[in-house]
Amino acid sequence: MKGRSKLGPIFTHGFLIVMCVVSVFPLLWLLMSAFKSSAEMLANPTTIFPKQWTLENFETVLVTLKFTVNIRNSLIISLATTLIAITISTLAAYGIVRFFPKLGNAMTKLLITTYMFPAIMLVIPYGIIMARMGLTNTRFGLVMVYLSFSVPYAVWLLVGFFKTVPIGIEEAARIDGANKLQVFRVIVLPLVAPGMVATAIYTFINAWNEFLYAMILMSSSDKTTISVAVKTLEGADILNWGALMAACAVVVVPSIIFFCIIQNKITGGLSEGAVK
Amino acid sequence: MDLRHTFRRDRNLTRWLFVLPAMLVVISLLIYPVFSTVANSFTNRTLIRPAYKFTGLTNYINILKDVEFHNAFFNTIVWTFFSLLGQVVIGFIGALCLNKVRGKIPRTIYRICMIIPWAFPSIAIALVWKWLLNGIYGFIPSMLSQLNLSEGMVQFLSTPHLVLPTLVFVNIWFGSPLIMVNTYAALQTIPQDQYEAAQIDGANAWQSFRAITIPHIKVVIGLLVVLRTIWVFNSFDIIYMMTAGGPASVSTTMSIYIYKLGWTSRMTGKASAAAVILLIFLLVLCAVYFLLLRRWEKEDL
Repeated sequence: MKGRSKLGPIFTHGFLIVMCVVSVFPLLWLLMSAFKSSAEMLANPTTIFPKQWTLENFETVLVTLKFTVNIRNSLIISLATTLIAITISTLAAYGIVRFFPKLGNAMTKLLITTYMFPAIMLVIPYGIIMARMGLTNTRFGLVMVYLSFSVPYAVWLLVGFFKTVPIGIEEAARIDGANKLQVFRVIVLPLVAPGMVATAIYTFINAWNEFLYAMILMSSSDKTTISVAVKTLEGADILNWGALMAACAVVVVPSIIFFCIIQNKITGGLSEGAVK
Repeated sequence: MDLRHTFRRDRNLTRWLFVLPAMLVVISLLIYPVFSTVANSFTNRTLIRPAYKFTGLTNYINILKDVEFHNAFFNTIVWTFFSLLGQVVIGFIGALCLNKVRGKIPRTIYRICMIIPWAFPSIAIALVWKWLLNGIYGFIPSMLSQLNLSEGMVQFLSTPHLVLPTLVFVNIWFGSPLIMVNTYAALQTIPQDQYEAAQIDGANAWQSFRAITIPHIKVVIGLLVVLRTIWVFNSFDIIYMMTAGGPASVSTTMSIYIYKLGWTSRMTGKASAAAVILLIFLLVLCAVYFLLLRRWEKEDL
């Protein structure tokens, strides 16, 4: 019995430490490679930390290859997607929770079903429609397409947050003569604000990280997103791993920072929204 | 309760204004494209010629006879099954371990470290692993060779029988955190006094795990498995960016197959038919899953 209780913690921490190392190592390797010179990278493929720290890879990516343009595109597209998606989804989630309590479950199920639609299937009609409307290669078109995956997911998460608002508070406001929109704006919104921020960040990350739609629908290099630009760099004649890792660092770091901020909130919403 | 009643009787238009924009998005961006894909799947539409005509089931028959399709379908099953198995096993054990850790600070540190892969954009997953596994300068093959664990440099991404397992490993690396974090959240909802009661009654750790832990979290895990199955089944980015389905077609999954049909060969009609087959398969799979889940939920009540 005593031996067992000692073995438990060793296994627990051992497993967790191994998992942490495996999880973190690629990030560490990515960042360290970005700060190494090409010569050093090829000469010592197994040393982790650079002997000589250099910014030349970042210079190549940001100055010579002008990735700043693509970073700007990604920022504009992700921010626009987030703003539009959150506005639409907040209204919808509140509407579902408060005004359609019976239909609500069916609506949420419909949203889960849309999660099933493969992006590779949707991109075919999107390509056709966007070409017909002259939206191919426009940021506006891509933002519209991004709503297809961000709105259902955001509604789903937000429904979970809105369910936590007690109806009694709203009741009091309604009795005092506030209309539905006033109740929503003054009473409910401040209460779910933290959940909304989390959902907004999650939406932003997903738009920022998206690849397939951007690759197919945005072919010109000055309009496309950072992910696609990095992929194009990989196909260049001279494969420069240092520059590639620097470019990846630019994509991955904002995503990880945002993710760490919201990691607690997203799960609560996910399991709650999912089960109910 | 009173107010909910008033709300329901309140049949003015305001309440529709709340859900209308989202309904428009779902109808125009999700429902319409599905019907459009189904319609296209019965035509010989291409990206090159604007004219096309109705060809009935020709696309479906051609696809079901296509050896490439059989290969892609089989690969997708292997890819999904093993990725999911790995993610669930590792994520589940991780969550159980995390739940055992006392002290808020070590727990938070473990948690943050372990969710990092989840935050990786697919392009970064693909490129960092390609670089780690690179056949000439890659860290992992170099390490293996230096430690005499392999003869020469292992070519993980170009040796046919190693490609799919390698991709599955990367996918497990990426997907386990999501399972872990959600399972952990579910574990936290189990009331501790149930364990204490079980201990007083003389139950050992394994018995209370089976009688308390499993029943509490199986619905959440079941749902996660459904969602992840769909996600992994449809996933495109990692495979496309790491191997593009190659070498030859050993890592071609359904998504890659459809991509090749639709955008490399430009056969919109045929690609649509393949996409419809994929969707039907997923719908059937999910129906089965949801039936199982409903039975579990009933057992709980």
